[in-house]
Amino acid sequence: MSLDMVHDIQIAYRQLVDAMSRPGYLADITEEAGKLNPEPSMLPATQILARMLLDTEVSFGVVSEREAEAVHLLNQLTYANETTLEAADFIFVLSDATPEQLLQVLKSAKIGELQDPHRSATIIIETPSLTGGSKLQLSGPGIRTVAEAEIQLNEAWIDIRGERNAEFPLGLDLIFTDSANRLLALPRTAQVAKEEIR
Amino acid sequence: MRIQYNFAFLDEGSKREIRRATLKAIAIPGYQVPFASRELPIGRGWGTGGLQLTLSLIGKSDVLKVIDQGSDESVNAVSIKKLIDKTTGVPATDATEAATLIQSRHRIPEVPLRTGQLLVLQVPMPEPLRMYEPSELETKRLHGEKDYSGAWLMLFEQIMKYRSVSTGADHPVMVNDRYVMAPSPIPKFDNPKMNYSEALILLGAGREKKIYAVPPYTQVVSLAFEDVPFEPESFPGHSCRQCGAEDVFMDELYDSEKEETYYQCNDTSYCLQRMNAQPLV
Ligand SMILES: [Zn+2]
Repeated sequence: MSLDMVHDIQIAYRQLVDAMSRPGYLADITEEAGKLNPEPSMLPATQILARMLLDTEVSFGVVSEREAEAVHLLNQLTYANETTLEAADFIFVLSDATPEQLLQVLKSAKIGELQDPHRSATIIIETPSLTGGSKLQLSGPGIRTVAEAEIQLNEAWIDIRGERNAEFPLGLDLIFTDSANRLLALPRTAQVAKEEIR
Repeated sequence: MRIQYNFAFLDEGSKREIRRATLKAIAIPGYQVPFASRELPIGRGWGTGGLQLTLSLIGKSDVLKVIDQGSDESVNAVSIKKLIDKTTGVPATDATEAATLIQSRHRIPEVPLRTGQLLVLQVPMPEPLRMYEPSELETKRLHGEKDYSGAWLMLFEQIMKYRSVSTGADHPVMVNDRYVMAPSPIPKFDNPKMNYSEALILLGAGREKKIYAVPPYTQVVSLAFEDVPFEPESFPGHSCRQCGAEDVFMDELYDSEKEETYYQCNDTSYCLQRMNAQPLV
C-alpha cells in the first residue's frame, strides 16, 4: 500500500502536534512510514515530515554526505526550494552528518526576530534511536512536572541549543526522528538538563 | 450532480500552511502566528478561523463536538457540524468526554478536558491590545518588546470607572509569563480552565488571519492588580433550575409566568447529562 497524502499525513501530523505540545512524548508513525519506498538518503520518518510540511511556500537546507541526493529527493517530493542553512525554514540534519555539522547548524540557523519569532528554523535531526541514550530531563510548557528523553546523540548540541534559545521568544524548534519511525520534539520553550550522575 | 469535496474541505496546500502556523504557535505560547486565511462556505464571522484549524486537524478516527455559547444545537454549531460531516463523515457527539476534537465559540466546556482531547476556540478579535492601539505594526512592536504598560493602564482605567475588574468576556491573560493574549470571548469564569490545562488549546481568527496556542501544562494568568484581584463570575446561592448544578457558569433567565428570575447551566450538554443521570422521582 502506498502513502495516502491526505489520511496518512493527517495521522502523522496529529502525532507531531502531540509531540510538539508535549515535549518528551515519543510519537510513533510506523504505520505511515511503512508505506514509503525506502530511500537510501533519508529515514522514512524524516520523509514523512518533509511531505507533511514542505511545499513551494517554504525553503529548506540539508546536511548530509548525500546532500545532493537528498536535496533532489526533497525537490521532487515537495517542490520546496533549497537555500542556505542561515535562511532555511526547515533544515534536515541526516544520520550521516557529523556532530560538528549539527553544532554548526544550531549555531547558524535563523531564530526569528522579536516581532516575528515564528520566522525561525525548524530543524529535523535524524538519530540512531530516541531511546537508550543518556537521560535528559525536560521541563517547560507541555510538561506537567518533568519529562525524560533519551536521544542517542553526542550531547554537545544541548548547550548550543540553550544559547540560541536564551532570548525567548527567539529560538529554534527541533524535531528528532529515528529508524524506528519515532518522533520527539523540543520546541524552543523546552528546558533541557543533563541528568546528574549520582 | 454530486459535488466532490476534498476530505475536510480544504486542499492539502491550505492544510499544510495552517499546520506549519499551528506548530509555530505551539512552540511560542500566546504569540499570534499569521496565516493566509481561506474563504469557507459559511457566513463571515461565523468562526472561519476555528473551522480552518479544525479542518486542518481532523481525521477519520476523530469524534467531533461543536458548541456555540454552550449549545450544541445552535444554528452556528449545526452548520459547522454539517459542513464537517459532509466533507469528512466524522461523527459528532454532544458528550464532552467522548470527543477528541472540540470546536467552541465563547465557552470552555464544564467537563474538565484531558490528554487526548484538543480544544479549538473561535476568535473574532485576536489582538488584546487593539482596544487602545489601532496599528498592527505598533501592536506587533509592543508584543515584541513585552511592553504591556498600555494593557495595564486600560485595565486600571476600567477599575477606576467600575470599581472592579469588570471586563466581562475576553479578559486578557498572560501566557507563560511572556505574551498578553486574548482568550477569545469566553466568560472570566472559564479563564482559569486555561491555566495548566491538560488539553492543548488552539485559537483561530479567520478575518484577522491569526493562529495562536496554549499548550498543555502552561501557565495562564488573568491580568489583575494586587489590590483588585481577578474575579470570575460567580452565582452564590443559585443553582441550575434543571439539574441543580452549582459552581458552573449559568445563564440568568426570566420566567414571565411566575415573574421571577431563575438560573440554568449555560453548557447545555453538561446539564442534559446531569439530568439524565438523576433518578426519576
Ligand atoms: Zn444544569
